[in-house]
Amino acid sequence: MIETLQIIRNRLSQRPDELKKARESGVKVLGWSGYNIPEEIIYALGIIPIRIAIGGDEKLVEVGARYISTRNCVYVRELLGLIDEGKDPYIKNIDVYAFDATCLQTFRTAELVEFYFKKDVFVLGVPRNFYWDEAKEYFINEAKDFTAKLEEKTGLTLDAGKLEDAIRLYNKTRETLIRIYAYQASRNNVITWDEVYEIIQAGYFLDRKEYLSLLEQTLDELITLQENSAVTEDENEVRLFISGSIIPPGDRKLINIIKKLGGRIVGDDLWSGIIPYLDLNIEEPTIAGVALGYLNRTPHGALPYLDLQSDRRLKKMFELIDEFNAQGVIYHTLRYCDPYTFKAKETKDVLAKRKIPFLEIHTEYAGSDIEAIRTRIEAFLEMIQNTTTLQYEKVSL
Amino acid sequence: MKKKKISYSEEYREQFLQSNNITFNDGSVVKPEEIWDFLVNIAPKKYPFAFEDNMFYGSTASDDATLPAALKNTYLNLTSSERLEKATANGLKVAFIQGGQSVDPYTAAGVTALRPALVNMWTRGKKSGKSVSEEELGRKTDKERAYKGISFEACNTAGYEHIQEDNLNIHIVAPYSALRCSDISYSLEAHRHGKRKDEVKLFLADYPMYHQSEKKWAIEYFVKNLQRLVKTLDEITGKETSEEDLKAAIKLHNQGRRIGMELADLWWSAETPPTNGMDRSALFTMGLLEMHADTQASLDVLTEARDSIAERVKNGIKGYGLVDNPKRLFVCGSCIHLDDYRVEENGAVVVGTDNSWSHGSTLVAEEGDPYYNLAKATLEYPYEQSIEKRAAWTIEQVKKSKAQGLLFLYNWGCNTQSAVARAICDIVKRETGLPTLVSENELVGLQPEQQQNRIDAFIEMIR
Repeated sequence: MIETLQIIRNRLSQRPDELKKARESGVKVLGWSGYNIPEEIIYALGIIPIRIAIGGDEKLVEVGARYISTRNCVYVRELLGLIDEGKDPYIKNIDVYAFDATCLQTFRTAELVEFYFKKDVFVLGVPRNFYWDEAKEYFINEAKDFTAKLEEKTGLTLDAGKLEDAIRLYNKTRETLIRIYAYQASRNNVITWDEVYEIIQAGYFLDRKEYLSLLEQTLDELITLQENSAVTEDENEVRLFISGSIIPPGDRKLINIIKKLGGRIVGDDLWSGIIPYLDLNIEEPTIAGVALGYLNRTPHGALPYLDLQSDRRLKKMFELIDEFNAQGVIYHTLRYCDPYTFKAKETKDVLAKRKIPFLEIHTEYAGSDIEAIRTRIEAFLEMIQNTTTLQYEKVSL
Repeated sequence: MKKKKISYSEEYREQFLQSNNITFNDGSVVKPEEIWDFLVNIAPKKYPFAFEDNMFYGSTASDDATLPAALKNTYLNLTSSERLEKATANGLKVAFIQGGQSVDPYTAAGVTALRPALVNMWTRGKKSGKSVSEEELGRKTDKERAYKGISFEACNTAGYEHIQEDNLNIHIVAPYSALRCSDISYSLEAHRHGKRKDEVKLFLADYPMYHQSEKKWAIEYFVKNLQRLVKTLDEITGKETSEEDLKAAIKLHNQGRRIGMELADLWWSAETPPTNGMDRSALFTMGLLEMHADTQASLDVLTEARDSIAERVKNGIKGYGLVDNPKRLFVCGSCIHLDDYRVEENGAVVVGTDNSWSHGSTLVAEEGDPYYNLAKATLEYPYEQSIEKRAAWTIEQVKKSKAQGLLFLYNWGCNTQSAVARAICDIVKRETGLPTLVSENELVGLQPEQQQNRIDAFIEMIR
């Protein structure tokens, strides 16, 4: 394991205490969930942003079901359970919550957090016709309103210079993450996809400046290690791409099964993975510029797109599959996660046209389906080993 | 299984013949004699399922022969398939929409808007001679086909099974993306891979969320959505819809909504419910003027219905099949219906629902920019507001309807309604002291008995 990852883990364990101290000195902490929350603005306001994303805990899912129905996905149920329980060190340190309306269930969760737990909740409206000019205008106005409400609540004012600094910091962070990500997919990799995934998710919590510094340290370490690493041939290696519903920190069921069976994940387009960091171009250091940067990224699955041929989400998926030489796609869907479940069959069909094997794993956080998933993935890996030939190419992003 | 065939006795014929004609959008007229003949001699053979009062599925036909408007509603329902076949052959353009939205812009553009129930009706009307069980099996089979094309977790499939698999002559799928349905935008998107993807246009009117009616930019954005919607409809019809056309459509629909509200006020004012639950539901929703694929026909029957209900209330006439002083239930949730037959057998009656009533009771301003007025009114639908606002409106309806209990039902797979069911019930319970029940409904389920048990227990519990 690379040394910096251990440092990141240590820093994560210390982070809740730091948040507590920061709050004691008057700094506000904002916990957010969604896909289009513009963190740069929150950061520039002097608020500490924390991305709330946790999964894999059946007990909390049950607790959350007291407030939201069992016909909602386990991710949002667990989030409500987490807030109800109030033991999570990050949840304990959140002053205000922010959600966006990308996923309708996340939006409903925001309403319930406000109603049942009487928390200060800010909601950012997200247009479904996101590719229209009118929709962009709407989103810019939503971002401005979101900022104004945050300013009003915290008594802070957005400073243009600080926003520019924040954009620079976040751009650098994204750029470094993308470079690190490419290393995991290389032939002589010294870091695995799940280690990079862990690093990505550490960024939800760590201080953003320190996080960038740790990423740069990771990159330096990778450059050195990779130069000296030897390529080990593994004839049985199966390179997999993961797509579909969110896999947040705490939910490692599927990833661990794949690993144990010898599958090698080399790429993803998960909401909780690399995709939010790709193609985010902020053209001007203003609220509007940030808003458009977010909206113009690869869209989240919850935002419908009515033409299959020009769908940017699918286009990006193919691009990443090619980039990382993936041989098959494991499509992870959480039960009642409509944005991704509804697209499973279609995704399978479009991949089949390019002869890319596809396996949908439809699951929850319960452990009862582990063996069933194991059997299906084992068969999928065998099938790929027997039917496809791996072509190694240079991996770069 | 208890079965009962609905038939209309000759003793009510004369009374029915005294009632009004129905005039259709194209100016054609149908007389009560023709309607009676259809209901007594033609329809029971052609559509036997509609006349079977089945304890598991209910019926489609009204069994109250003394209420002409209810019989005419049955007539319009059962002839909708044939009328649509003819009209589309003659150039009528049809849009698939979802419930929970008004159809003013579609009317303005001269496009007939059909929500899922009407598209189902169109499809089922194309086959004759089916019993209620065969009909239900057919519906389940159709849904299964949609699930294969979309997802087995879908509830609203945006008519995929009929439009993409059955070649039903729908020209555009163009719903609103409101919170009432979590599936609609994903199901709409699924049409992009259907067999008829190149023939059927797709459009989504993007409904902004979260205090939307209080945000100027959200209203402006929805105005743009409505303008684009009308433009897209115009591309299909080859006509150009003017603002005057939209104003005229708003006026027409306001007329329907006003009469619908008058009718509801009359119905609720009565100590004795003047109709049973099935007829009440049909008459209330008629105010939307979109239930029969013909606005003028709906308006005619609605106007007659209001007068009949006024008369019944004045004379203290009790709805067909109801017990004395039935327990009064208000039902919340999208696309759900209790089995009125079973509810009434157990001594209760459904007095109102929030679903279509939300937009059926929202008037649109008639002076000024029609797009703005329509956008603002649409974004004010009580059903689409925050938990507290929606609950406050629900409480108002519960009080007006003198309901004694509230049920919040949601279909399996309906994320956004199920998400707030508990919260809405908690507020209603807290503010009114009324008992509430949250229960899941299986849209085309095979085991309604479990749900019915819970509802029966709830009815028993109401004092």
